[in-house]
Amino acid sequence: MRNYIGNEITLMQYIFLIHGIQVGAGVLQLPRIMAEKVGMNGWIPLICGWLLSSAASLIIIQIMKKNPQSTLMDLMTTYFGKFIGKISSILLIIYFSIVSFTLIQKSILFIQVWLLPGIPSYIIMFLFSVPTYIIARNGIRIISRYAELVFFLMLWMPLFYIVALNQNHHWVHLLPLFKNIQQGLMATGSTIVSFLGFEVAFLFYPFLKEKKAASLGIIIANSLSLLVFLFVTISCFLFFSPDEITQYYEPTLSMLKVVEFRFIERMEIIFLAFYLFILSTTWIPYMYSMAFCTKWLFNKGNAKNYLLLSLIFFIVIMYFVVPTFPGNDLLSEFYEKIGVIFFYVFPVFLLIYSFIYYRIRGRITK
Amino acid sequence: MKIFKKWVKQNVNSSSKNIGDSEVKMISKSLSENLVNLYALFKDTPDLIVRHLEIKKGNKQAVLIYLSSLIDKDLIHEHILYPLINNDNDTEMHSQSVTIGKVESSSTWKDVELNIFQGKSILLIDGQTEVMILDTPGWPQRSIEDPQLETSLKGAHIGFGETSDRNIALIRRYIPNRQLKITEMVVGERSKSKVSILYLEDVANPELLQELKNRIEQIHVDFILNAGELEQFIEDSPYSPFPQFISTERPDAAASHIFQGRMIVMVDGASAVLVTPVTLISFFQNVDDYGLRLLSSNFIRMLRMVSFFIAILLPSLYISLISFNYELIPIKILLNIGKYRSEVPFPPFIEALIMEISLEMLREAGVRLPAPIGQTVGIVGAIVIGQAAVQAGIVSNMMIIVVSSTAIASFIIPNYDMSAAIRLLRFPMMIIASWFGIVGIVIGLMTIIGHIISLESLGTPYASPFAPIRFPEWKDTFVRFPLWKMTKRPSGARPIQVKRQRTNGFRRDEK
Repeated sequence: MRNYIGNEITLMQYIFLIHGIQVGAGVLQLPRIMAEKVGMNGWIPLICGWLLSSAASLIIIQIMKKNPQSTLMDLMTTYFGKFIGKISSILLIIYFSIVSFTLIQKSILFIQVWLLPGIPSYIIMFLFSVPTYIIARNGIRIISRYAELVFFLMLWMPLFYIVALNQNHHWVHLLPLFKNIQQGLMATGSTIVSFLGFEVAFLFYPFLKEKKAASLGIIIANSLSLLVFLFVTISCFLFFSPDEITQYYEPTLSMLKVVEFRFIERMEIIFLAFYLFILSTTWIPYMYSMAFCTKWLFNKGNAKNYLLLSLIFFIVIMYFVVPTFPGNDLLSEFYEKIGVIFFYVFPVFLLIYSFIYYRIRGRITK
Repeated sequence: MKIFKKWVKQNVNSSSKNIGDSEVKMISKSLSENLVNLYALFKDTPDLIVRHLEIKKGNKQAVLIYLSSLIDKDLIHEHILYPLINNDNDTEMHSQSVTIGKVESSSTWKDVELNIFQGKSILLIDGQTEVMILDTPGWPQRSIEDPQLETSLKGAHIGFGETSDRNIALIRRYIPNRQLKITEMVVGERSKSKVSILYLEDVANPELLQELKNRIEQIHVDFILNAGELEQFIEDSPYSPFPQFISTERPDAAASHIFQGRMIVMVDGASAVLVTPVTLISFFQNVDDYGLRLLSSNFIRMLRMVSFFIAILLPSLYISLISFNYELIPIKILLNIGKYRSEVPFPPFIEALIMEISLEMLREAGVRLPAPIGQTVGIVGAIVIGQAAVQAGIVSNMMIIVVSSTAIASFIIPNYDMSAAIRLLRFPMMIIASWFGIVGIVIGLMTIIGHIISLESLGTPYASPFAPIRFPEWKDTFVRFPLWKMTKRPSGARPIQVKRQRTNGFRRDEK
């Protein structure tokens, strides 16, 4: 068992860490995806996704509760032995590296399309890696503080939507409220991946100071994210007509084009630039998770060196393979599939296994 | 590398040998032997006075030794020499006949040497192996003046001097409490500077105090001249642009920090004291804030916050809006700016750089020059930076406005170190803005925020109460709540006694 004390995070930091990971680049396209799949009833799959993700996160907390001082890798080692523990850490490293790469790539693509059209992606990657390294090298405590601060720093962002809605909104777009429930339920698959991010509880549960409130915290985090998703989706639905919305690639941003002042125009550009803060809270914890798992695997060295290596590696990849939206979508689909299997399906089995494990062991020790 | 380390080690060894000559020797019983030792120690020291005298009581031979430059002559004449020579008290204790407050004794030459240099006089008596160390300091010192760097509006107009005894007295005047403890240490192999740590024992966190002591103890250098040098040896991140200690010249400010559970490090010979542990926000607080009326002090506080962001961001925002993200500006304003900019041959970044650097040069020249010439610099600067540069077509009018408002904003921040840090950060922000526009600014901000969050002052979070967020302590951040609402000490310094007052005054009844 390794010692994780001395680097504790508070409940609030834990909530905003998970919430920060969940809300990211996906929000920019979410309303369009919802509209394409279920029309204007996009809120149904969101709520279903929230239910499922909350259930999954509760299961994760239940699993972690039994060994409050261990991460997922420690847990796998206790349950299945050293070899499986190592395998699990390798799988996690692969998952986290793909996720963080995809997310950074997606952010870079958005930035390139909207803000920096002429600049090659590896340079933007280099630009991103500076704050990423500065924040993530100090460990989970600083990352959570950052996530917490960013949440409060960016509270003004919804105001933009209210200003935009003020200019143009039609409640009638939402009606009928329950048009195609069946379709809505079918589309839940595409929303549960938006809630991915609670899986870091597997790694960072041992760092949480108030462990009793862990379940409550993770539910709050999920609910906050649901609120953000609902807010964005519904404001886009109110703003655009059902046919119009599918024509925009990122309706969340396009909607803000109507916000203008006497002294400044194109507010969506400023919005997106500051949205980088929110984007950064998704990839920074993932990058750190990757470094954390790598350190666990080798059981030596410093996590920040692995972080630096992977950042350099990302820059090199971006130099040779120019990112594109289709390629990025493929990567996203890939990691989402892995994510669903790893963190929605697998925990159920792990929970059952742990029940059996402790039942048997309890019998032996008796 | 190894050879270099060896070489350093050798050098350190040899230098400590030179210093350590007198360390082991004890005072001998014979006066003449002692005098031989003394002259061996203090060769070529013309201001060393060795006064032979005969103590009236018991007719003993004695010698009084002091450095004439460091002592108070009247004190020695009237309170040491006169009573020793004339007094015929019945007592055997010579310390009784000397009419001086602080008298110590010692039996090693090391102490004798150290004390002579601290302005004390040494009485060697024939046949005794213990010397008397008499406290007779009287070196030249400055009278108490207004602090130079921090002007006080409503607070006390009194500043620290260069003698730590007197500085401690100034603080004691504000904290007449027996919980105010002073820990003394000596730093510097040669300079032997006295470093004192002042704190309230029942408030300051003992772990932090121990940490501070450890850090100071581990300094092994030749000399420490001022608090700024000490600061660099004990701060957490020396490569950060942000100061991790507040250095202040005002005793009332220092006392207020002590009351908040912080610790003061005072270096003898320096007129500024260091405050630790600090948070970012404490650089924007000023003792005067608490003395001013509530609304006006809040207005000033917010002005400082705004100017912090203006000082960091304004030039880079201007550069990015003009050269990169011009689609953000409405066409009317853009045309207006373009009219002025059309005569300027440089890109906005170079234009800003020229102005910023010339402004910094003017500022530095103004600081270093004596006051009468300093004014001339100001006039020359106003002409050069102002109208002439615009008419010559080197810079545009807009840039003048941007640069000068940035400069003013950076001078509003009350702490010199912090305002220097902010002025420095402006340049990387300008560079990144000229390359990546508004994205660059956001990334720069992200880096600065990330850096501030990860900074620590003596192991406590520097960005508290923002990261980690502690909402109850926001009472004294962007705005200052009324004094009677701030019942708790800020937890940034992790005080062991949190509560500092009751909700006070007649207003308690209103609830």
